[in-house]
Amino acid sequence: MNAVSAYETSAAARIGGRVYPRRRRRIKGASIAVLVFLAMCAAFISIPLYVVIVTSFKTMDQIALGEVFSLPTTWTFEGWWKAWAEVCSGMTCEGVRHGFFISLAILFPSLFLSIALASVTGYALALWNVRWAGPFLFVLFMCAFVPFQIIMIPLVALTASLGIYGTIWAIAVIHAVLAMPLLTLIFRNFYKDVPPEIINAAIMDSGSFWRIFAEIILPMSGNIMIVVLILMITSVWNDFLIGLTFGGMGAQPMTVILANTVITERGEVHYNVDMAAALLTAIPPLVVYFGLGKFFVQGITAGAIKG
Amino acid sequence: MALRWSKVSPQLALIPALTVTLVAFAGAIGWTIWMSFTRSRRFPDYAIDPAVWARQYDRLFSDGVWMTSLRNVVVLAIGSALAIVLGFILAAMIEKEKRGEGFFRTIFLYPLAVSLIVTGIVWRWIFNPALGVQNFLHQLGWESANFNWLADPATAIYGIILASIWHGLGFYMALMLAGLKSINTEIWSAAKLDGVSFWRLYVEIIIPMLKFTFLTCAILLSLGVVKTYDIVLAMTNGGPGTSTWTPAYFVINAYSTRSNIGYASASAVIMLLITAAVFLPLMLVTAWQVRRRQAAAV
Repeated sequence: MNAVSAYETSAAARIGGRVYPRRRRRIKGASIAVLVFLAMCAAFISIPLYVVIVTSFKTMDQIALGEVFSLPTTWTFEGWWKAWAEVCSGMTCEGVRHGFFISLAILFPSLFLSIALASVTGYALALWNVRWAGPFLFVLFMCAFVPFQIIMIPLVALTASLGIYGTIWAIAVIHAVLAMPLLTLIFRNFYKDVPPEIINAAIMDSGSFWRIFAEIILPMSGNIMIVVLILMITSVWNDFLIGLTFGGMGAQPMTVILANTVITERGEVHYNVDMAAALLTAIPPLVVYFGLGKFFVQGITAGAIKG
Repeated sequence: MALRWSKVSPQLALIPALTVTLVAFAGAIGWTIWMSFTRSRRFPDYAIDPAVWARQYDRLFSDGVWMTSLRNVVVLAIGSALAIVLGFILAAMIEKEKRGEGFFRTIFLYPLAVSLIVTGIVWRWIFNPALGVQNFLHQLGWESANFNWLADPATAIYGIILASIWHGLGFYMALMLAGLKSINTEIWSAAKLDGVSFWRLYVEIIIPMLKFTFLTCAILLSLGVVKTYDIVLAMTNGGPGTSTWTPAYFVINAYSTRSNIGYASASAVIMLLITAAVFLPLMLVTAWQVRRRQAAAV
């Protein structure tokens, strides 16, 4: 409490003499209440992360004592190592690292396919005179909301007939397909604000559709590319259902390996290993989040509301 | 020649997207709807018997587990709505109290970067009766504390709601914050000049101004709730018994465990109908908003 009031006073002092003393006192009380409430909510949000981190560094002997909030008495990387390299998922005991590399292998083709498809489509719809552009956008808008389950079964049959079912390519293609409506709308909304004079001048300059895209449009898409990249990296990395249904046995991404490891565990449960495995799976998107927070928020809100 | 190509290329460039839309969306939805009227089991069977075309739906709605799934979706939607309310309160506080805005926003939003599988596993550990928070409360001396929600069919769904709120709170806060920031700052000073009380300002002015944001949040929440799958799998795997099944869980189970394409398709069609029922009001309200804005502009 003292620390808070000290902070308040110094903050008020910094604002300077313009603040009237009487008003300052009233704002102070309310501010403290608000900050305390916000801090409590922040604690509710951060406690799970704290609990998971400390659990992952504990020994099983200490976990058995049941003091969930205490710090590890001896910090050990044993749980992390076991989770990374030794833990069993189904028949194989290779740890989650196997899934980590598969997730990486899925990530890059997914990003390339989805962004290539959506940016070209968005560009054509936004800046060129295309027939039925309006109705097509409307259909895409509806497709963006379709639940995955209703298209899942025929897509499994389709990928099986293409011979890619159970490979990373099936997962990457399905990610690109499912992301296409939303990403196209995002790109289209970004490109429609490009001044038409630029395009007209480029056409006069005998620029073709593809040359204008490569030489003028792509170089000015930096911002939207970062937003879309973050949106796709987190959603592809965090996906579970597509990896589960299209990965078969051979291409299970990290989330699927993690779920197999933790949920179908038999016998003695190693909570420190489980928590370390969960953290290993969560670290890549968390790094993206803490590194590029501003763009992350933009990506999330762009993914949510369009218009 | 160059001019001709510049007319054709944009149309050609749309072919991949058009193919995806026609095959993977329209075609696939049509196929699933067709399948829901057949008696397909492990393999698709395209014959529809006109006398009993609704057999899968008849079975579905006399299936107790499906009814549990539907009820769970309603409970989840109502419970998770708390995330919108809390999100608004937090956004209003952060917006009013400018101090620490970046800090609090970072904290509240990080769960969004964590996958639902990880979220479920983490909360399963917190709910662990012997070693988790319940044991901690007992050690503190609160012997009657019961935090073992996931073991009881009556309370397991509330455990899932709590974890979903944890995961989604920051998202709704961010949307609300964006809405609050778009409000003209003059309203705050005008209200202060007029001596409008704090509560009246929010209840009678701010919340009505944000009604479109609230509606967007509610619809996004409902669409998300209909898809609830990962977090249920990670926290309870549908249990205890079948008490935490959801329609999404039901469809996957009917397809992969029971290998019944017809049954899975019928339940997927109902999922689509629920989504459409939530989605259509959004369309109508958006259209209405646009029209009103245009009318105001004229």
